[in-house]
Amino acid sequence: MTQVSRRTFGKQTILFSAFAALSFPGKAMAFLDKIEKKKFLYRDDIGYAMKSLFMTYDGTSKYLHKFNDVVGKTQLRSLQFHINNGLEKEYVDHYIEIMEPALQRIKQQVETEGTEKGLSSLFEDNPSAYQLFERINVNPNQRSFPCPYKDLLHYCETYLKTFPMKWEEVCSKWCTPTWTGFAQKIGIQVSVHPGETCEVKLVSQS
Amino acid sequence: MSAQNTNQETQGRMDSEKPRDTMNRRDFSRTLFAGGVLSALTLITVPDRAEAWLDGNFSNREDLGDALKVIEKTYGDIDPYPHKFNDALSKLLLRDLDFAARKGIEKEFVEDYVARLGVLVNKHLKKGVDKFGDDVFLWAMFERTSCGYQLYEYIDIKKGKRSVPCPFKPMLNHLAEELGTLKIVWEDVCSKWCTPTWNGFIKGAGLTERINIKVEPGDICTIKVI
Repeated sequence: MTQVSRRTFGKQTILFSAFAALSFPGKAMAFLDKIEKKKFLYRDDIGYAMKSLFMTYDGTSKYLHKFNDVVGKTQLRSLQFHINNGLEKEYVDHYIEIMEPALQRIKQQVETEGTEKGLSSLFEDNPSAYQLFERINVNPNQRSFPCPYKDLLHYCETYLKTFPMKWEEVCSKWCTPTWTGFAQKIGIQVSVHPGETCEVKLVSQS
Repeated sequence: MSAQNTNQETQGRMDSEKPRDTMNRRDFSRTLFAGGVLSALTLITVPDRAEAWLDGNFSNREDLGDALKVIEKTYGDIDPYPHKFNDALSKLLLRDLDFAARKGIEKEFVEDYVARLGVLVNKHLKKGVDKFGDDVFLWAMFERTSCGYQLYEYIDIKKGKRSVPCPFKPMLNHLAEELGTLKIVWEDVCSKWCTPTWNGFIKGAGLTERINIKVEPGDICTIKVI
């Protein structure tokens, strides 16, 4: 058996891969297009995002700060204000109303692609969701995510003492009516199961 | 050098320094950025409770993976426009302002924001401004707070002035194309949200006799202490 040095073996493996790819143009294009398809790699403005990330995650005073701190606190603050003024229902209705054009587009996609499209459009494909939830667990007919509000509400009330609403009100007066309202518009039905990990499940429509 | 040692060294230095009427720029920067204004302010009021800002624990975080995945997802999403890290927040603020403006309660909405979220700022800011100068107000509104660095793509810092790319103007344009349902216009955002909010913090902190700001809205918004 011929002895092959490690360096030669590596070189030959790479050359073989390249020749194999060139022999199958479709596969070669898939290989060569990898960077092309990663739009992320073409962004010139990621540096700003990384700096914001650093400033956020380097701050551990009082509690561990996260990328969704401000959007979560801002939402809680707005909800508290509207609850205080008896406007929480209209606040939800307004959100659903202004989203109507987008919801109608999603409805058409649900009709052609199925109910999972409805869930993905509300959650993992929606920047307003994936920039709010620390992560979104995707399972058939179900999405789950750590509740962004429970801990934040606790911190706000502990350190600011200006958030008297209960966490259950966030679920019952904001999240649940918003999601069920969106779902109704796009032609699906969901059940919401609040918790430290919140679950939103498709209700079968037989 | 550990974050704890740095904080103790900072606290020790600040405890031993006497206030000075004049402070050169190097000392000014060191005083502000070594401990953070709020930590400096709490030292002035409660010396035992200096808290750190940018306390050097980034590399100890175990939850960075989720944040990095969101950045990759955000910046890989260019349809129908290149998304940015502040998308959700700017959309939320615009949506909220639209609702408040429709109900005619935008003034109360701003006042509530200042009162409800600005508790610590309102309590401590005046002492910081008295001690270290007017620029502390801008520091507290922008680079010191996550409400600044999670909203503005970047913050250009000069003494007495901050400039930021307006997060709302492009987003309003995107929403006009995508939805066409918001009633507010960009000038409403400047006149009914941003400017009154900053002025609200000046008032809440008891600084109306001392600080006036000039806001120059634009693609790059500039806020100056005058």
